[in-house]
Amino acid sequence: MARRPISLAAGAARVGVAAVFLAAGGLKARDPAAFAAAIDHYRLLPYPAAAALALYLPWLEIVCGAAVLWSRWRLGALNLLLALCAVFSGALASAWGRHLDIACGCFGAGPAGRAALLFGLGRSVGLGLVCAALLAFELRPAPPPA
Amino acid sequence: MSGGDPIFGRALRQTTVLLVAALVPALLAAALHPRRPAWSRAQAGAPEVTWAEASAWPGPVLWVDARAPAAYARRHIPGALPLDEAHWEEQLPGFLRAWRPGVRVVVYCDDRACDASQSAARRLRQELGIDQVFVLTGGWSAWLDAQSH
Repeated sequence: MARRPISLAAGAARVGVAAVFLAAGGLKARDPAAFAAAIDHYRLLPYPAAAALALYLPWLEIVCGAAVLWSRWRLGALNLLLALCAVFSGALASAWGRHLDIACGCFGAGPAGRAALLFGLGRSVGLGLVCAALLAFELRPAPPPA
Repeated sequence: MSGGDPIFGRALRQTTVLLVAALVPALLAAALHPRRPAWSRAQAGAPEVTWAEASAWPGPVLWVDARAPAAYARRHIPGALPLDEAHWEEQLPGFLRAWRPGVRVVVYCDDRACDASQSAARRLRQELGIDQVFVLTGGWSAWLDAQSH
């Protein structure tokens, strides 16, 4: 009986995670050139790599955001979303640590500056924790037969 | 896979399929998207210009300050107009009143660590079709350095 509230919470969390990644991916997929510039401003990659990522990452977010709602693909989707959150968090922490005055780029155009980077970092870490919890829930041992 | 962990195998298979599934629309976007990125920084961003180069240009130059309004209010390059992305709609009419075809536009923000000047320059080029838009290398800090020497 104790599993039911947890299952309901997991379902709600999955919908929330899916909504965030579908929105983030959709907004960035509308303008890959602007997203390439946003990635380039992090100064972590050569420009052609930033351009390639700007074309690919939004669609990976959209595909994984949709797949997390589908039990058949959920495990792979959560793995990838957790990895994406780790990469985004690393990039944001790096930009913040280097005192870059740039926009997060997480949801397309947005405010620039250290406060915006810190907010984006908190959001990315929080999302990563939710994905990790959902992954743990997905990998939980099956209940013993009655 | 019969001898391996079935969960690991399932996760690996799903991850691979999802990675490939995202590749298809990404490749279509690379070929067909009207806002697809250029493959080199030189094509994508506004060219940079140093203060020494810009001040030696013949003809008028329109300076654009892409920093926050408070920074602009404290001090700015003489004659510069404020135009930052957060106040784009309200500040753009002032820019359009001052700009004339053929006039070079140089945008600056705080220093090398900011992206506001590139973002504003990109919008001026893409949304208004102004070709002669440049970014001041080193931004406001470089201008201050040039004034002190």
